[in-house]
Amino acid sequence: MAALEKEQLLNVAQKAVETALARGAAEAEAYVYDGKATSIGIERGQITKNSKIVDRGLGVRVAVNKAIGFAYTNAMDRKTALEVTVLKAIGTARTSRPDPEWRGFPGKKPYSQVEDTFDRRIMELRSEDLVNTASVMLENAMEADKKVLAIEGGAGAAYQSVALANSNGVAAFDSGTIIECSLATVAKEGNTVTPVCFEFSSERSYKVDASWVGKEAARLAVSALKTKRIETKNTKLILTQFALQELLHYTLVNAVEADSVQRNQSPFKDKIGNKVASDAITIHDDGLLKGGLRTAVSDGEGSPRQKTLVIEKGVLRNYIYDNYSAKKEDKESTGNASRAGYLSTPSVEPTNFRIMPGNIAPDQLMSEMDEGLIIYYLQGAHSSNPVSGEFSVVATPAWKVEKGEIRHCSRGVMLAGNIFEVLRNVQLAADNERKIGELVSPWLLVENVRVIGK
Amino acid sequence: MKDILTRINNIATQKFGAEYSEARAQDLAKTMLTMKEGRVEAAKQGIENGVALRVLVNGAWGFASIGSLDEEVLADATSDACRMAKAAGLRLKAPIKLAKVKVVEDRVHIKASKNPSEVAMEEKIKTAAEINRSTLCYDKRIKSCTIDYLDVTGTSYFASSEGTWIEQDKLYVWARMAATASQKGIFASSREEIGSTAGFEVFDTETPVTVGTKLAKRAVEQLEAKTPKGGTFPVVLGPNVVGVFVHEAFGHLAEADLALAGGLLATSLGKKIGSDAVTFYDDGTLVGAFGSFKYDDEGVKTQKTLLVEDGVVKGLMQNRETAQKFNAEPTGNARAEDFRVEPIIRMRNTFMAPRDHTFEELVEDVKSGYYFKSFRGGQANLDGTFQVGIQEGYEIVNGEIGDPVRNASISGNTLETLFKIDAVGRDFELSPGRCGKGQTAFVCDGGPHIRVKEVIVGGSA
Repeated sequence: MAALEKEQLLNVAQKAVETALARGAAEAEAYVYDGKATSIGIERGQITKNSKIVDRGLGVRVAVNKAIGFAYTNAMDRKTALEVTVLKAIGTARTSRPDPEWRGFPGKKPYSQVEDTFDRRIMELRSEDLVNTASVMLENAMEADKKVLAIEGGAGAAYQSVALANSNGVAAFDSGTIIECSLATVAKEGNTVTPVCFEFSSERSYKVDASWVGKEAARLAVSALKTKRIETKNTKLILTQFALQELLHYTLVNAVEADSVQRNQSPFKDKIGNKVASDAITIHDDGLLKGGLRTAVSDGEGSPRQKTLVIEKGVLRNYIYDNYSAKKEDKESTGNASRAGYLSTPSVEPTNFRIMPGNIAPDQLMSEMDEGLIIYYLQGAHSSNPVSGEFSVVATPAWKVEKGEIRHCSRGVMLAGNIFEVLRNVQLAADNERKIGELVSPWLLVENVRVIGK
Repeated sequence: MKDILTRINNIATQKFGAEYSEARAQDLAKTMLTMKEGRVEAAKQGIENGVALRVLVNGAWGFASIGSLDEEVLADATSDACRMAKAAGLRLKAPIKLAKVKVVEDRVHIKASKNPSEVAMEEKIKTAAEINRSTLCYDKRIKSCTIDYLDVTGTSYFASSEGTWIEQDKLYVWARMAATASQKGIFASSREEIGSTAGFEVFDTETPVTVGTKLAKRAVEQLEAKTPKGGTFPVVLGPNVVGVFVHEAFGHLAEADLALAGGLLATSLGKKIGSDAVTFYDDGTLVGAFGSFKYDDEGVKTQKTLLVEDGVVKGLMQNRETAQKFNAEPTGNARAEDFRVEPIIRMRNTFMAPRDHTFEELVEDVKSGYYFKSFRGGQANLDGTFQVGIQEGYEIVNGEIGDPVRNASISGNTLETLFKIDAVGRDFELSPGRCGKGQTAFVCDGGPHIRVKEVIVGGSA
């Protein structure tokens, strides 16, 4: 199936909205998705598979007497698909319960331009090109050191487009590409097997650095072979982007989402204007970031994406909103309604959650720390207390730094504390910004974190 | 459907010379519901139809997934899959081979006394509303209650070039409840899950009032709880925590694909890896359990698989590809979340077998330690490092259960910890859950209460 064009997708969305209104919905919204993804899989040191997914679907959300109903289908080639889905959404709304606080879908607003989110070269990639990318990555890892075992990974390219229309006249279209490669490695020496180490590169334009990913995944695994125990004490840490993403996703991100704040699930309730982090922390939620992994013109319900200042030099400035949570406070949406494709309704989520970089290089940051740990991978961050921010996680592994240099690694090290205290103890941000999921961040140097050794 | 899928497999084998081809179709309906503090955020209904085509050509896999049951579209997709397999196989050193399996023809019917597809949306909303009410009314300090409900019904189809044809009904009912409580700047959270392959009747035993009360009580209790001391302690673990430990810390290592990927168990068959009290199973045959089914997504019949007996490794969970490598039998553990993804080795209902201790006997010998009753999350690494976060725990002081503790977690090395299990209870309980391994699988895990001589307890003190 060839990719659908902009007009075709918008037509389906608008037709669904018109049909819903004609069939008795007070308000309606339609979301149409068309996506294609190709990937190459690596298993145990060799390329073993090549996959392709074509996914297409329609999600219709309607309001009837302030009750919300939603239906979706992926059976788009059935002639009756649109009509049946619309009727199901209306039927579901009729059996549901009214929401007194429902104040309608977003209205029409101008969209900003976005840059570097689409690359035709990615759309036109052949399987052989991706096999090549995966091979380059794999060869660089294997050639780096004989002790390295590439356990899994791959390369993938995807194109997706979304059309959204609602009964307030909103008509949005967005299309973008993404390409990525990743490699998980272990190193083996005698009976010692290291924890799984991992590196990846993910970009909207055709510029993934496969050889760097291979070399780095190998370097990390080999450097995890030499282990020594460390003592239980409070220490300085460098948190890399991997660790930050794990720790912040379940805690800080939750705390700034308006939905959590309104539902008393955020420690940041009534804290706008208060100091919540150290001076080194400035965070924007930037839905328009050039080349950002989550950059788009429109959010998941047609509100324009924007750049929102969340924390400024440690002071909390704004929460992030979707349309529903914004209207509750007579505010405007910050363009943070997110959808997991056509089969979900929107919810508040960050776009590109960007911790602003400092101006010190990573090796200088290590010198600055002098003695402490550097943390890449964490285990158990999802068991953090999302409301209080308390966490208790294992570093898999932690690397010990002395006199600014990595000396050895240590396994089974637990880190415990409260993420909001950690944010207040950030001393410095490095200049090595990178994108990982929703997070865009440099390394951060933090002091006084409780470390429980073995 | 059988004819179409058979013809599609024939294209792969006859036109492209595939050594194996399978077509897996689904025709499923889902109902979903999210309720927050009694407000229905959205009542949802969905249709998900599609076909997954997997072919083995010259020892490499090609896979195509498409949201269509149209024969022409499928014929194109299988041709694509064959060409892609050829591209993937260009630099193959060790071609993939599959273990032989019995050819099966079967039609699997599910008879639920309350099939969720026949339960009205009003009834589902009412059930969620009752859970919400029981939770929020339990105590003024409960601030929020989120309920997510999902049911899946329909049929899946499997046809292979070897002649296997299976038509299998699907039925899942699942709900997740989460509550938060706060008092004087202290925040606590609590969650529960319900999951069944039996039917909507699961709410007759897990009644809204029981579930809501359990959820709320735990959240409120944590407000008064202290944070535990960090360090090494003896602990008694409840079935819910034993379950996540068996699943995360051991189960993943016993998945043959991960064992081959450098995990600890690749060469452990027949070796002693835990104390005599340790016996583990992964069982897909338990009627109504959330991880049960009759055939896996490679057309292999499910079974009760013995993983560890009296501390000795007896088997791994195998798919057809790994079984060939290990010279073992496929165990029926190959599962795909839906038609968008390939089947991979997944757990089903994974548990520790009970022994003979009473709960009192387990606790009475602990001078200073913890009783961990319910988990918040768990994770493990291939090198055997595990971490389990605790949402409900208590001190044990001089053999008695003491004050509640909050935000504890345990960690250690799996194999070291398995040798430290010195007493196993006679009770037994399974908890439903969802396991993530790139895809989501519905599973259960559990066991009896157990005692572990020492484990690292992470706390903030």
